[in-house]
Amino acid sequence: MSYRIIVWVLALILLVPIAIFLVYAFAQGWFFPALWPERWDSALFLRQLADPQLRRAFGQSLIIATGVSMLALMFGYPAARVLELQTFRGRGLIYGLFFLPTVVPSVATGIGLNIVFLRLGLAGTLLGVMLVHLIPVLPYVVLTLGSSFARYDRNYEHQAAVLGASPWFVFWRVSVPMLLPSLVVAGVLAFLISWSQYVLSLLIGGGKIITLPMLLFSAASGGNQSLIASLSLIFITPLLLLLGLVARYLGSPATGATPRP
Amino acid sequence: MSYLQLDQLTKSYAKQTILQNINLKLKQGEFLALLGPSGSGKSTILKILAGIEAPDAGEIRLAKRLLNPVAAHQREIVLLFQQPYLFPFLSVAENIGFGLKARKVAKKLIDQKVAELLDLVELSGMQQRKPQQLSGGQQQRVALARALAVQPKVLLLDEPLSSLDPEIRVSLQGVIARLHRELQMTTIIVTHDLSEALALAERTALLINGSLVADLPSIELFERPPNRAAAQFVGVGAIIAGQLQGTTFNSQLGQFNGNFAPNTVSLAIRPEHIQINNPASQPSIAAQILERRYLGERWEYRLQAAEQVITVREAGQTPREIGQTVDLHFPPQQLFALAD
Repeated sequence: MSYRIIVWVLALILLVPIAIFLVYAFAQGWFFPALWPERWDSALFLRQLADPQLRRAFGQSLIIATGVSMLALMFGYPAARVLELQTFRGRGLIYGLFFLPTVVPSVATGIGLNIVFLRLGLAGTLLGVMLVHLIPVLPYVVLTLGSSFARYDRNYEHQAAVLGASPWFVFWRVSVPMLLPSLVVAGVLAFLISWSQYVLSLLIGGGKIITLPMLLFSAASGGNQSLIASLSLIFITPLLLLLGLVARYLGSPATGATPRP
Repeated sequence: MSYLQLDQLTKSYAKQTILQNINLKLKQGEFLALLGPSGSGKSTILKILAGIEAPDAGEIRLAKRLLNPVAAHQREIVLLFQQPYLFPFLSVAENIGFGLKARKVAKKLIDQKVAELLDLVELSGMQQRKPQQLSGGQQQRVALARALAVQPKVLLLDEPLSSLDPEIRVSLQGVIARLHRELQMTTIIVTHDLSEALALAERTALLINGSLVADLPSIELFERPPNRAAAQFVGVGAIIAGQLQGTTFNSQLGQFNGNFAPNTVSLAIRPEHIQINNPASQPSIAAQILERRYLGERWEYRLQAAEQVITVREAGQTPREIGQTVDLHFPPQQLFALAD
């Protein structure tokens, strides 16, 4: 019973900011000591939605976050698989190295990589921003997939192979469905982390790539609360939709265990 | 003419030898049991045959073709594991059709084949079930149908029945025996259970500590194990050490006359062939009963004779008393020589 109370309190803490955004975004003429705003108005919010700069930033954020999710799964899957399913010298060390980016400040990483990316012609490109986002994203993807591989029974793949399935067929028809919940969770995590990146996007994007967090940041320094609130709503809506879509996979156990009869 | 041939197969993990120079030959359509205690390397042989593991040395040939470089999915050898490993995200029908789909067989043909196979394993009408909705025995039957769907050249069974209840195990043994009779598929079953080998396979290879110690018709292995290791595994009444002089074998338990091979140093006899207190039989040796247990139909006694413990099984009567001294008689025609 007490756990349930804690869950509700947590839910409240998480939901209150969203409620505040809603109020600030749509309330007009709400001055002290009025208990309630004078009127509700969606004009500002709609004007924001129609803003070409915002639309462009939204689109670029979407392309980057989607691309980062894909790339992170592409690189994270083999990494997690090898780290969990094979034993070799230095395995622990390599696992540790994957987590190094989480302790190094992204300003340091970003400034350091800026020069490299400039030389490679990746600075100021969508691909460059995607690649640099992989640095904070990959540790979480490898960790999420790794915990599933730790409980993964490779005999399902062996069984498929002896039945005549090629390695490609085994990957798409056995490994991916078996690991689907954790692939979805890892992909969503990658999307969330990439979507909220500010410093790395700024440093590598070099002003040519504008993402939503940048608009949010400049609005925040401007101090117009209605503007901040409506931008924030636009910022979180795709994330809420995404979480809603994959809710059934969140917290579901990794497969690989033999289902109970 | 051998169909499946294993030549000098050797395998070790981290300096521990698992298999040592394994040689086996199977005729097409033959049913072989690979018997042995757990950890003897039986399953490793199947994994090597199926292509899941590679041998350190040795060759595998199927219909003369060298299989070593062939990938698992191209070998046409299906391995059935101890667990059914049904894909939990597929229905029963999709599971059975899996191998056919991998071979790009037309959907209509797959459906037809699945229905036939479900009929064969007596699970008709279960197409749309999920594996999780089946009992352990039903899951294993679906796994069997899935293996048969691709019409493998060789079927490998790795103790597929050992995790099932005794009743279901016996009924599935029946299913496997019937399928082998009907389909005549070359089959190897791995088991640690002698009775399973006897019930299913015409021939049994006994594997102990990574070496083959016997490869005989199953009944012969049971009745006349060829050496000490085999005799200990299948269980004999006594192993009698001694020396052969002419046609007389001298031992602590007495002299035995028979047509034994030259240089025989040990004889053995099955526990049910040793007679207790048979006044008509000579010679005999005095023995004291140490323990007894009822096996159903028979009593089993452990007796001390000279410095040896002997096991005797006697058809069900009123049991003999523990501590009692009796005369044991070893009918010469039931004694057989061991190779070591």
